[in-house]
Amino acid sequence: MSLFKFLKRTDEKTPKVLVLGSGALSIGQAGEFDYSGAQALKALEEEGIQTILVNPNIATIQTDTTANRKTYLYPVKPLWVEKIIKEERPDAILAGFGGQTGLNCVLALDEQGILEKYNVKNLGTCIESLRLTEDRDLFANVMRSIDIPIPPSMAVKTLEDAKKAALKIGYPLIIRAAYALGGLGSGFAHNDEDLSKIVKTALNFSPQVLLEKSLEGWEEIEYEVMRDIEGNVITICNMENIDPLGVHTGDSIVVAPSQTLTDNEFQTLRNASIKIVNKLNIVGECNVQFALDPISNSFYVIEVNARLSRSSALASKATGYPIAYIAAKLVAGYNLIELNNPVTGKTRAFFEPAMDYVVIKIPRWDLRKFSGASRKLGSSMKSVGEVMAIGRNFAEAIQKAVRMASENPNGMSVTTRFKNSTDEELISEVTYPTDERLLALVECFRRKMDIERIHSVCRVDKWFLKKIDEIVVVEDEIISTFNGLVKKVTISDDRELYNILEDMLFLVSKDTWIHWKKTGFSDQQILTLALNNVPELVTLKAKYDDEKYFKKLFFLVRKIRKNNVRPVVKKIDTTAAEYPTPSNYLYVTYEGTSSDTKPFDEGKTPIIILGSGAYRIGSSVEFDWCGVKCTEYIKNNNMQSIVINCNPETVSTDYSTSDKLYFEEISTERVLDIYEFENPKGLINSMGGQLPNVLTDSMAMGGIKLLGHSVDTIDMAENREKFSALLDKIGIDQPRWKNVKSKDELNSFIEEVGFPILVRPSFVLSGTAMKVANTKEALEEYMEHATKVSPDHPVVISEFLQDYREIELDGVAHNGKILISFMTEHLENAGIHSGDATLIYPPQKLYVETVRRVKQAGTLISKELNLNGPFNIQFLAASNKIKVIECNARASRSFPFISKVTGINLADLASRVFVAGLTGEERIIPPSFDEYNLASVGVKAPMFSFSRLEGADPILGVEMSSTGEVGCLGNSFDEALLLSLEATGVTIPKKGVLISSGRLHEKIKMLDAVTILEKLDIPIYATEGTAKFLEEHGHKVKMIGWPEELDRPNVITAIRERWVDFVINVPKNLEKEEMQHGADIRKNAIKHGTSLITTAEMATAFFRALQQYDEFINDHKPVMLPQQKHT
Amino acid sequence: MKRKAILTLSNGSWLEGKLIGAPLVSSGELVFTTAMVGYNETLSDPSFFGQILIFSYPLIGNYGVPISTGMDKAPGLESDKIHASAVIMTQDSETAYHWNTSTTIDEWLKQHGVPGIVGIDTRELIHKVRDANKLLGIITPENSEGSRLLHDKLKDFNHSDFFDPGCHPVTSYVSTPTRKIIGKGKTRIGLIDCGVKWNIIRNLLRLGCEIELLPWNTKFSEVDCGGWVISNGPGDPANTGDLGARIAGLYKETRPMLGICMGNQVMGLAAGATTERLVHGHRGHNQPVYMFGTNKAFMTSQNHGYVVSKQTLPEEWKPWFINVNDGSIEGIAHIEKPFWGVQFHPEAAGGPCDTQWIFDDFVKTVQRGQM
Ligand SMILES: Nc1ncnc2c1ncn2[C@@H]1O[C@H](COP(=O)(O)OP(=O)(O)O)[C@@H](O)[C@H]1O
Ligand SMILES: Nc1ncnc2c1ncn2[C@@H]1O[C@H](COP(=O)(O)OP(=O)(O)O)[C@@H](O)[C@H]1O
Ligand SMILES: [Mg+2]
Ligand SMILES: [Mg+2]
Repeated sequence: MSLFKFLKRTDEKTPKVLVLGSGALSIGQAGEFDYSGAQALKALEEEGIQTILVNPNIATIQTDTTANRKTYLYPVKPLWVEKIIKEERPDAILAGFGGQTGLNCVLALDEQGILEKYNVKNLGTCIESLRLTEDRDLFANVMRSIDIPIPPSMAVKTLEDAKKAALKIGYPLIIRAAYALGGLGSGFAHNDEDLSKIVKTALNFSPQVLLEKSLEGWEEIEYEVMRDIEGNVITICNMENIDPLGVHTGDSIVVAPSQTLTDNEFQTLRNASIKIVNKLNIVGECNVQFALDPISNSFYVIEVNARLSRSSALASKATGYPIAYIAAKLVAGYNLIELNNPVTGKTRAFFEPAMDYVVIKIPRWDLRKFSGASRKLGSSMKSVGEVMAIGRNFAEAIQKAVRMASENPNGMSVTTRFKNSTDEELISEVTYPTDERLLALVECFRRKMDIERIHSVCRVDKWFLKKIDEIVVVEDEIISTFNGLVKKVTISDDRELYNILEDMLFLVSKDTWIHWKKTGFSDQQILTLALNNVPELVTLKAKYDDEKYFKKLFFLVRKIRKNNVRPVVKKIDTTAAEYPTPSNYLYVTYEGTSSDTKPFDEGKTPIIILGSGAYRIGSSVEFDWCGVKCTEYIKNNNMQSIVINCNPETVSTDYSTSDKLYFEEISTERVLDIYEFENPKGLINSMGGQLPNVLTDSMAMGGIKLLGHSVDTIDMAENREKFSALLDKIGIDQPRWKNVKSKDELNSFIEEVGFPILVRPSFVLSGTAMKVANTKEALEEYMEHATKVSPDHPVVISEFLQDYREIELDGVAHNGKILISFMTEHLENAGIHSGDATLIYPPQKLYVETVRRVKQAGTLISKELNLNGPFNIQFLAASNKIKVIECNARASRSFPFISKVTGINLADLASRVFVAGLTGEERIIPPSFDEYNLASVGVKAPMFSFSRLEGADPILGVEMSSTGEVGCLGNSFDEALLLSLEATGVTIPKKGVLISSGRLHEKIKMLDAVTILEKLDIPIYATEGTAKFLEEHGHKVKMIGWPEELDRPNVITAIRERWVDFVINVPKNLEKEEMQHGADIRKNAIKHGTSLITTAEMATAFFRALQQYDEFINDHKPVMLPQQKHT
Repeated sequence: MKRKAILTLSNGSWLEGKLIGAPLVSSGELVFTTAMVGYNETLSDPSFFGQILIFSYPLIGNYGVPISTGMDKAPGLESDKIHASAVIMTQDSETAYHWNTSTTIDEWLKQHGVPGIVGIDTRELIHKVRDANKLLGIITPENSEGSRLLHDKLKDFNHSDFFDPGCHPVTSYVSTPTRKIIGKGKTRIGLIDCGVKWNIIRNLLRLGCEIELLPWNTKFSEVDCGGWVISNGPGDPANTGDLGARIAGLYKETRPMLGICMGNQVMGLAAGATTERLVHGHRGHNQPVYMFGTNKAFMTSQNHGYVVSKQTLPEEWKPWFINVNDGSIEGIAHIEKPFWGVQFHPEAAGGPCDTQWIFDDFVKTVQRGQM
């Protein structure tokens, strides 16, 4: 076997390879590494290699155990990795598939001599080269040595040197930290002032900072390169950033292949990439980023990532070439000519894919979710996810992409945002890029602004601007067409909008339909443009306010459009049709007249599974896990799985996961197109989180057969009115709430329940715009905001219950009967979004009676809703009182966590329920399980990315803000907690702890923690109130002032000067003013990379656990994730 | 509003699209390229003489057409005219933005009297071309204004018939009519022009050679040079008259020889091998080859429908390169004399330059010979 020759193994023992994962999803390092890691593991295991995975990200697909994979849910840090190495004695380690985390870890392991000590070989690109690409100064020298141009730059370690360097190079400068991903701590400096500000922050993240000539406005181009041990090199594809240099690639709209490069430019950069990977002796995959002068042939290399990256995942999905899979084989010792190109089966892996379509990636930001966060884009990444769209022309691709990213079928035609902006405001929007620049550009063209003028400020290549303009021109055509047609039809009071519109649509010519659809307009877009811009229709539509009616109009447009034109299905085959291929990787387009593929033959059982779309706050890799497990179940039970998803970071969009993959929009229109083409036995929409779930109603209207929960069940659970009526009916308590329509109603509700009151718009994800009000003023303000967020839905207010515990019940039901369900306990009290809370399984501190009542309530709700699939119910509990806050009739965020801790795969079981109707399985016997006979305790902890969100207040509340999660196992709750916190970047306090805590009884709770701190003799600093309180209770603390107190040492100094390396800040309540008070402390903690805890519950639990920390790490034997039972 | 245009195929079927370029009737052999950049290099490549070129990449013309560069200046164009009979693409870019652009593809086609079709399902058409052994086509614009003039010698060719470059002595149409000297230097190269791409000349100039560009039918004994390069070119290598025989004459000597594409094929013929037509011609920038007997592989730019048949290669010759995908011969070499041929394009333009070293090695050998 190749790996033998590579490891120079003589004996016949199966080689063991330790693979490093990338840990929790965070901004700059997200799902793409689950995809590349999963592919690598597959590639190695195929070779009969025993893999050992270290990755605490329990929600990922890669952390599932397999026949020859052992999973350790541990922090990817030398301390823990060494323990696992000691335990497992692997022959080699593979770090290139675990992002920056994996890379930094292996570099540390090497420095600390651990690899040598246990004789573990580093696979792939050698350590020296890795270090080269990370140390910007060394890197610069190597590039010079092979005359590859790099922007004039200098690496410094202090502010003084930085100032000197600035003089040499001259402003403007870009400043970046070494060893930091996603441009952490970087920025542009136009003068000394900016310089000091940025350099200071950057030095907090990294010992070394790079100052570089700013190339803002240059074209940014990337190449994905592969190289084998023989030195054979290929470039998989190049990608062009539509946003020029200055906006991080991760935040740029990216198109593949490059659109504006001549052959000469393309080859110049390709040659440079090859020269670089040869010099660095890359084995596997490498990403090279260039800056290209838009007005000459000159270019610079910006950076090289000698590992799998976000871009390599995108390139794999864009071309169909499985980069990570092949890279792993190369690392194992194969060369590119002996490997097959899996897509074609025939041709070899030594091959550069040819695309006959255009791919566009648009990032997904959630900046509005973070109070105070700046929306400006720069050299530091801010997006939390991305979508990829495929089309046979630019307009089609970008229109798809905008709809995918915004999850709005009106896509680029949404006018609300900039309609009322002045031209000046618009120009500044496009000059200083934000997450909404594209929509601003569109508005510019609606106002017929001149391309040259726009280009001169935003520097986006004119070709792209022209293409956007062309779309706006067609938008105009659509509007004027309908304005013309309305004159041709009869409008009278007794005529329905429906019939009038029908008459108009019939008059649209076939060629016109084709033109509109080729330009990428969705049926909904066309409808909306007509309804909002034809005066006659605007007046008419005012008469109707029920959603269903407008859905009917959508189906009307669809029906008539279909009589004129339907899309075709094309293959992605890596060869642009040069060779016949069996590829199952598909997309839908209007730029074509015949389809490449046929539906499955009669007698087969095709089933469509909807993915979760872009990763975003509230819906992330956990739902990809659910989708993938479901897909596998269907495949393994000889039915045909058809996946629809549009997120390039996922495993579900790896074409080898399913029988057919449609890389497409998750929208009613597109799902119906595919459904009608494939005509499957049914569709599964409850594994992809909220996105596919909210389409339920319209998909049903469109005649789609939904598997699992019935439409009524889902509606009953989603619709607050109905659900609450149901709870009353079966006598289950809930927080008092009201759907207020008038001032009086509001007042009487306040009378009745008193403050605090919770504001929550319905039909939203992850608590968007949920707020807690303590005063009438605040309440009214929040309600106004909430109405803005979802205008056409009622705003619901409810009593906010303080000091309640929060409990979740996750499980699977079949025909109203719960097959199996599990309770998880939140560490934090209610008031912190379940997605941001720390979950514990099995529960540690619940009364048996509470457990009984929760289970009982679950049974009743399931029966009453007639649940038929996966579900999640959320409870509040005080003493033994329980109240239900919501029921999700779909798979939930905690499914992978519970499945892995218990060893019972809930996704499998749910899938079995979905297809029960098809397989004729009437009675499903649930797997047996004994909660009290569990090997270990599991803790799921949230991962936050506040350090990337300048200005954001790192406070937890009812609106979710975490970007990822980890889940760790321990022999006790304490162990699991310590591990999971460490895995999310919380560091053990050594120097000192700053305490500034809220309400009295939270201060009281804090006393234990303080006692422990004293035992561990860690100095305690506290703000006035807290300090006094603690002293009264006989504790010695150093009192320091609030931020605004400049006359004495204050909290900011304490944090900045590193007197403290740990901060506990518990806000009194979630009220704005109060939060403002602590905000400076929290923001500074984040800014200086100091650990931060904001709840008393967590503080207490953490310090309790900390007492055993030393014994724990000294004699800890790593706990392996138990093998999962498949149902 | 663009006018309609019809593409008629020799298999009896037809497709309708929209016209770009000149409103002229034109016919030729349908071929496709999977290249994603370099449409301007490709269309000006003489090897496409008499062929209707289909671009599999849907968006063509984005960066326009570069300001004409000349054979001794920066790359961008490979000859002074468009040689293809016609072009087919999904969508042409109606505006072109690039600091070095002179005009749009539509204008350029008009200037050279070349018609094109847009707005048809090129992927579907490529399936047809791929699966047919050979497909000819005629493009007929709605109320056309005449016929495309492929070459003065073809003045009275009637484009309502299918033109098959494989059945015409096309070498004579694209080869230089007169001998001319290009560059100045001690290393003299006799460049036998079967339709040479300018980037071959540029590469030889880069290495300080003095080139004598020779009509394909030159009497070689009259040429004073240190080494021979036989260029690429259109048509069936078996259809090149006595060229093979005259090259065989050169095999008696030891002056280094490099054949490129068509050049490689005629070298094969001269050596006594035969050439055959590939079922799937190689046209694109991603053709993988490996050096015979090694694991060393290269990404190459290719454009050929014929190859030297492996089994007919006489034993004093050996394969030099092999196609990684279909195993066909991608280059031949004499077992002791400095005679090499490559089926791919080391001069690229467009495509990867990973085999440019072949020119360097060749010229070094020539220089050694002269010392
Ligand atoms: N010299 C420069 N001038 C202007 N912008 C730059 C320069 N170098 C990098 N950038 C911008 O900063 C972003 C991040 O830089 P990069 O070196 O890629 O860091 P990361 O490791 O975060 O990818 C790039 O995508 C680019 O847009
Ligand atoms: N009445 C309430 N009292 C206290 N906390 C609440 C109440 N309702 C909701 N919460 C808190 O708000 C969080 C989000 O509420 P939820 O209704 O689950 O929104 P989402 O649908 O976004 O999950 C819950 O996890 C819980 O911590
Ligand atoms: Mg980068
Ligand atoms: Mg919830």
